[in-house]
Amino acid sequence: MINFIVFICGAVVMSFEILGSRILAPNFGNSVFVWGSLISVFLTGLSAGYYLGGRIADIRPSSRKLGLIIIAPGVLLLTFPLYSGPVSDWIFMKDLGVRSSPLLASASLFLVPSVFLGIVSPYTAKLMICSLHTSGETIGTLYALSTFGSIIGTLVTSFYLITIAGVNSLIMGQGILLIILAMPLHFMKLRCDIDYTESGGRK
Amino acid sequence: MLQKIYLIIFCFILFPFKGFALEPTEKLLMEKNSLYQYIAVTEDTSKHERYLRNNKKGLIQGGISLNAPEKLLFEYTQMSFISLAFLEREPEDVLFAGLGIGVMPRYLNRYYPQINMDVVEIDPDIMLVAKDYFYFKENEKLKVHSGDARQFIKRSKKKYDIIFLDAYQADYIPFHLTTLEFLREVKSKLKENGVVVSNILSPNRNKFFDSMIMTYKKVFPYLYIFKGKKAGNFIFVVTKRIDLKDKDGIEAAAKRLQSLRKFDIELTETATRFEYSMAYEWFGADILTDDFAPVNLYKYQDSEAK
Repeated sequence: MINFIVFICGAVVMSFEILGSRILAPNFGNSVFVWGSLISVFLTGLSAGYYLGGRIADIRPSSRKLGLIIIAPGVLLLTFPLYSGPVSDWIFMKDLGVRSSPLLASASLFLVPSVFLGIVSPYTAKLMICSLHTSGETIGTLYALSTFGSIIGTLVTSFYLITIAGVNSLIMGQGILLIILAMPLHFMKLRCDIDYTESGGRK
Repeated sequence: MLQKIYLIIFCFILFPFKGFALEPTEKLLMEKNSLYQYIAVTEDTSKHERYLRNNKKGLIQGGISLNAPEKLLFEYTQMSFISLAFLEREPEDVLFAGLGIGVMPRYLNRYYPQINMDVVEIDPDIMLVAKDYFYFKENEKLKVHSGDARQFIKRSKKKYDIIFLDAYQADYIPFHLTTLEFLREVKSKLKENGVVVSNILSPNRNKFFDSMIMTYKKVFPYLYIFKGKKAGNFIFVVTKRIDLKDKDGIEAAAKRLQSLRKFDIELTETATRFEYSMAYEWFGADILTDDFAPVNLYKYQDSEAK
């Protein structure tokens, strides 16, 4: 279950990024500046999310909290069409230049969801690590699944989804997917309590 | 071992330089990777023509004859000027979306020196190439603005008599310049009875072509299509007028313009290619919007019409 969640979150991040280029194009074009803004904003979000996620994970982690962390971007994506137009138009009106405009638009539309999706990785790692002897394997598997999800998300979105459905409905669909995914977490109890003494002798 | 690796790296470095598949008579004058695209200028020494290319192979973006650089060498550029026959007055303000090698604005400037022309071109390197290799010059009536066509049009406080849409990214139109929302923005920048003319490339009568027809039709009451002799060259003309223009009227207007302006192109011949869009409409085609516009895919899918 957790593996699947990590995979889907990885897929949603990249799918959202590809769709983001379509959201920005009407106001900011399709230039290299738009792509540069988009990619850097997503990476900023993820790295901030990783950092925060690590810190949060050390404070009484639970699958219930993980559910809330996933519901947050779910709601943001589900309601995305409500605010993306006005935000993007407002920044267009400000006309801050060919670089700053798409950068600001990317930051205001995509930063917060990508922070939350970034939090998921270290948080699930904390929940999944049951033994310090196999923690490497657990973390490695989660990284691989998350990135594999991103690959699939990128390919499926750019090759197929964009050709069969509208950008806004795809983003809303991803929001729904995240919310559905998060629901069972509310009732699950995933946390492994590590016996920290087992590694005590090594140090 | 290390030597082998060096050799392989060396081969990879050399490889791109021999990748350019030119005709034996064609020589490369310059090439560059700009911020937006690959740009190459080549010259056919036997035909004495110079071309702009965005791909190493295939489609030529524009070209001139070195013996007569002021002339319109390419069919679609000649045909685009049929738009003048749709305007029932002298044009005063004209906009070109996409500069290319700049032959069309240059041509219009030559025959109508009093027109105020704005050209919007996203790639500054294209403007340099147009100036250095294709005899393009700005003047007080002909201004080039650097930027995205859609942003320029949306921001423009000016309205135009004729808007030429010819912004291509290699062999396709960027999706945000094909949508319903974009065409509405274009329409809002047209003067009373103003004209929009668009160059639509569709070598195999593809789904993109069908979608463009239905999208234009959704925004403008009537769409007139001029089909080139070469397969796949289509010129779309739309106006804000709510009454239908007929073929005889356009032929007469073209004839009048031709004798008045003494164009070195055959506007009267282009006028005979007049077709109502009804002949091409396919109601199963998707209307392209900012939300849904799979332009890259539709170019490779054959039309479902007929």
